[in-house]
Amino acid sequence: MTGFRLDKGGLIDRKAPLYFTFDGRAFTGFAGDTLASALISNDVHLMGRSFKYHRPRGVISAGSSEPNALVELREGARKEANTRATMIELHDGLVAKSQNHWPSLEFDIGALNSLASAMFVAGFYYKTFMWPKSFWEKIYEPIIRKAAGLGNASKEADPDKYEKAYAHCDLLVVGSGPAGLIAALMAARSGARIILADESSTLGGSLLNENEEIGGMSGHAWAIGVIGELGSKSNVTLMPRTTIFGWYDDNIFGAVERVNDHVLEPSPYEPRQRYWRIMAKRAVMATGAEERPIVFGGNDVPGVMTAGALRTYANRYAAAAGKSVVVFTNNNSGYRTARDMNAHGVHVEVIIDSRKEPNVDAGGVPVIRGGAIVNVRGGKRVSGVELADHRMIPCDAVAMSGGWSPIVNLMCHRGAKPKWDERIAGFVPPDVGDRFVAAGSAAGRMLLSECLADGARAGTLKGKTPAIPKCRDEAFAVTPLWWVKESTGKAFVDYQNDSTAKDLPLAAQEGYRDIELAKRYTTAGMATDQGKLGNVNAIAILAEATGRTMDQVGTTTFRPYYTPVSFGAIAGPFVGHHFQPVRKTPLHDWADELGAVFVETGLWMRSSWFPQAGEDWLASASREVLATRERVGLCDVSTLGKIDVQGKDAAEFLNRLYCNTFSTLDVGKARYGLMLREDGIVFDDGTTSRLAADHFLMTTTTANAARVMSHMEFCHQAHWPELDVQYVSVTEQWAQMAIAGPKARATLQKIVDKVTLDDTGFPYLAAKEISILGGMTARLFRISFSGEHAYELAVPADYGNLVARSIMQAGEEFGITPYGIEALSIMRIEKGHVAGGELNGTTTAGDLGLGKMMSSKKDYIGRMMAAREGLTDKNRQCVVGIRPFDAADKIRAGSHILKKEDAPSMAADQGYISSVAWSPMLNMWLGLALLSNGRERHGEVVKIFDGVRKIHMFGVICDPMQYDRENKKLHA
Amino acid sequence: MPDNFQRVSPLADIAIQGRFGADHGAPGVTLSVRHPVLIATVIARKGKAKALADALKSWRGATVQWAGAEQYFLLDKPFDEVRKKLEGLASCSDQSHGRVIIRIEGPKVRQVLCKGTPVDLHESGFEIGKSALTQMAHVGVHLTRVGRDAFELSVFRGFSESFWEWLTEKAEEFGYQVI
Repeated sequence: MTGFRLDKGGLIDRKAPLYFTFDGRAFTGFAGDTLASALISNDVHLMGRSFKYHRPRGVISAGSSEPNALVELREGARKEANTRATMIELHDGLVAKSQNHWPSLEFDIGALNSLASAMFVAGFYYKTFMWPKSFWEKIYEPIIRKAAGLGNASKEADPDKYEKAYAHCDLLVVGSGPAGLIAALMAARSGARIILADESSTLGGSLLNENEEIGGMSGHAWAIGVIGELGSKSNVTLMPRTTIFGWYDDNIFGAVERVNDHVLEPSPYEPRQRYWRIMAKRAVMATGAEERPIVFGGNDVPGVMTAGALRTYANRYAAAAGKSVVVFTNNNSGYRTARDMNAHGVHVEVIIDSRKEPNVDAGGVPVIRGGAIVNVRGGKRVSGVELADHRMIPCDAVAMSGGWSPIVNLMCHRGAKPKWDERIAGFVPPDVGDRFVAAGSAAGRMLLSECLADGARAGTLKGKTPAIPKCRDEAFAVTPLWWVKESTGKAFVDYQNDSTAKDLPLAAQEGYRDIELAKRYTTAGMATDQGKLGNVNAIAILAEATGRTMDQVGTTTFRPYYTPVSFGAIAGPFVGHHFQPVRKTPLHDWADELGAVFVETGLWMRSSWFPQAGEDWLASASREVLATRERVGLCDVSTLGKIDVQGKDAAEFLNRLYCNTFSTLDVGKARYGLMLREDGIVFDDGTTSRLAADHFLMTTTTANAARVMSHMEFCHQAHWPELDVQYVSVTEQWAQMAIAGPKARATLQKIVDKVTLDDTGFPYLAAKEISILGGMTARLFRISFSGEHAYELAVPADYGNLVARSIMQAGEEFGITPYGIEALSIMRIEKGHVAGGELNGTTTAGDLGLGKMMSSKKDYIGRMMAAREGLTDKNRQCVVGIRPFDAADKIRAGSHILKKEDAPSMAADQGYISSVAWSPMLNMWLGLALLSNGRERHGEVVKIFDGVRKIHMFGVICDPMQYDRENKKLHA
Repeated sequence: MPDNFQRVSPLADIAIQGRFGADHGAPGVTLSVRHPVLIATVIARKGKAKALADALKSWRGATVQWAGAEQYFLLDKPFDEVRKKLEGLASCSDQSHGRVIIRIEGPKVRQVLCKGTPVDLHESGFEIGKSALTQMAHVGVHLTRVGRDAFELSVFRGFSESFWEWLTEKAEEFGYQVI
């Protein structure tokens, strides 16, 4: 042995040295190392400081349960805090730093907390920060916030990509140890679709770590053979570096694949991580078992680790955790470590077995029976151990084994609780049915032969379970020892939270006897490792303190995620401008060419205004209004929902959906329609045209298009399945544009084929299929939202830009102007047309001044409820127009309306302003408001109170229609 | 009414031909935009589902894709012809301009699509000609298997640019070409 790297053995590639730094110091490791094994082989054991007492800490485990060796991995924007050194695959150029210390890992002022440890007992926060109350916000909270957490997050945006994906299989095998491998093999040979996932970088599970013998060869060689066979099959997907983190309804599993966490920088074409949802017909939990620490004084000093971890570092990574090892065990695992270390040429001082009469082959190492380590000597590294009889044994590493806990987490994610098994002294998984079964040591089978038999059974989807290969078994026996009470030093139950053995009896004494309460009170089992190592010890100590059995105390609730999942993986690709899809209208390019500024409306990008040099939005929108009202304007209205409604009963269907009647509508005509919800409140509005006796084209507001469609589906399927009616969204088929203004007719006439657009050929509310530009099929509607003489023209979407450009050309001689939805909004407010501000889910048809539309001759959705007293009360807030009393004042949407003499109060509130606009026609701000009994109050001077800006002014209530009240322009 | 105007695909300037993404030899997938295309939504009138299905089955040259209960997308026939042929059997709506169809094909096609759809596209259960209504990257997609390793993805026109961007990004790791 040179240094702490064993001369031979291990699954590392000694021809591939890798260079990395830890806390700024340069080190060398090999391909196949983890950061933890590479540091150990370089005799670095101090890897971090603990959370509360800032105790020096090293590696305890060799896997994903690691609570101590948490480091900041990488630098800059790619920095990742609290990363487990035991799971980081070493790669060239890796940079890692230790956490939670100041000024340095070696010398940390925070360690002074230890001196005050009498204060930091269970419930410390609750006891200390209760009083004085005034201290909470200014003093306590900032201190706690500063102390909380371990590593520091990068404040920069993550430069890497993440993605999501779905997978399907007949059998998902979680874990690739002996049970998982043979389960996958049996199932794969039957031709079923298999996914085999393992959190480690290499498949093989415990066969990578242990000296086993299967089928006359080493366990590792057998694993390579099986993995080779699996890998050659097209029905098998192997997923190393993939943690199955949760089990959900209908046998769906969540997983994170660490695609590129093991490289310095991912390829620009590949994600760092992939978040999987795996839909498995059946699944096998072959997750293995976790070795528990024993609770004794100084069981956290760097150099103390689980017996299995110690031999894993030697067997798999050829790294010796020390030159002189003491083993402390209550089961046979410690002996295995002693024998393996001996075989590697590492001196094992003694095995201290808490059992009085163990019967195990110690491989020549002396055994102290019925003994216990009381305290570990050493600060930043083990220097020796002290036994109950005060004997001192010098050593530089301690291997401890408190028994094995089946890793039952996944099977408990949907609420089932594990059961205590006295024989193995561990919680075994619950029976959750045959779609998800446990196999191997995860199911409490502690012998290799049992694991293989169990796995083979679980993987046999049909027929008889084939014979399994012969193997060598390592005897299993355990006698629980949870806590060495003679310890005088701190004995940790939960390393990550610095919870000690004394905290749990204290919690019980103070009334927190329930394991869930004790967890919160002591913090044992919290934080990133969720008590993977400490929970069973905590339950046992609490059971003893309260005189209950393990089953009576039970476990805390198991929830996903099994190990921490990054926010990047959860967000997937849906960040930045991919947060939601962008929806563009068929006239987008046309508007873009004319310099439109676009605004998001739901997912749509709508042209909002078309500024010319030097114009702000208001100047632009005002000019667009003036041009439209004086000449002609063109506006993209393609986003309105369009639904084709056809069938023998189409008219009847519409009669029932709308509060007004559509069966009387003539073919070739359009009608404004109002839809109510079941509760009598207005749902949506729009014009609907009759293209043929059995064919209507409904339009909806942009915002409600999808909602109206599902409303129709529901009504048809649930209420009136007898109707012969079919409907489908045709929103995207048509590019639709409004052409409005005194010159609209003249402009359109130039591109329309054959039809004469006069009041006989194409009267108000005409809706017809026509032809334009010498042969293009189009639909023309004479409808108006602006109050001008106006048309809406719909053409097949691929022609949209072409037609818009043609209309601009045709209208050039009349001074045509493109206008956006800001100008559209100004014009509808001038005309008192209701929109989103008024159709806000609280208003009735009556409130909107549309009460007369509600038919009394037929039934329709919302009719009954609309007649309720509260919905017909004359004091309801209804739509009115409002102007500032002083025309120079600016009124604002959201301002409340009070009687002229009242001071602002909830009781005095009369209503509020729902929409405002600067009217270029009237040269003042004007708006629409919802005002109590408003229709009777036209002409009243009211107080307008803007509670946000704390200003008030006076206003005058008027008719909602404030411009062209005789509708002369509409019918011009 | 046949017309002689130039149809412009919303992906005309977006789906640029060429070879993109990682280079692992042959491209993992090949993408193309089917344009111009003729599409009609066809929904059976009450009680006519069987008659409609029969009429569609025997219609030569028409591509019929399932698109919901008693509902189909009918491709490759002019809309006037569709309406005439199915009169009394179905309500028909022209969608030729309303949807954009992207064809994706190649050895890695399922690895790309599984990043978006929860539908199991394994050949054992999703035979050629089968369609599904699904969502990929928050966009509603009508998906049809059209060949051994070939699928057509039909989306609302307005989403096509956004969807193309997402889809090509998901194909990058395998290398893709646009034809």
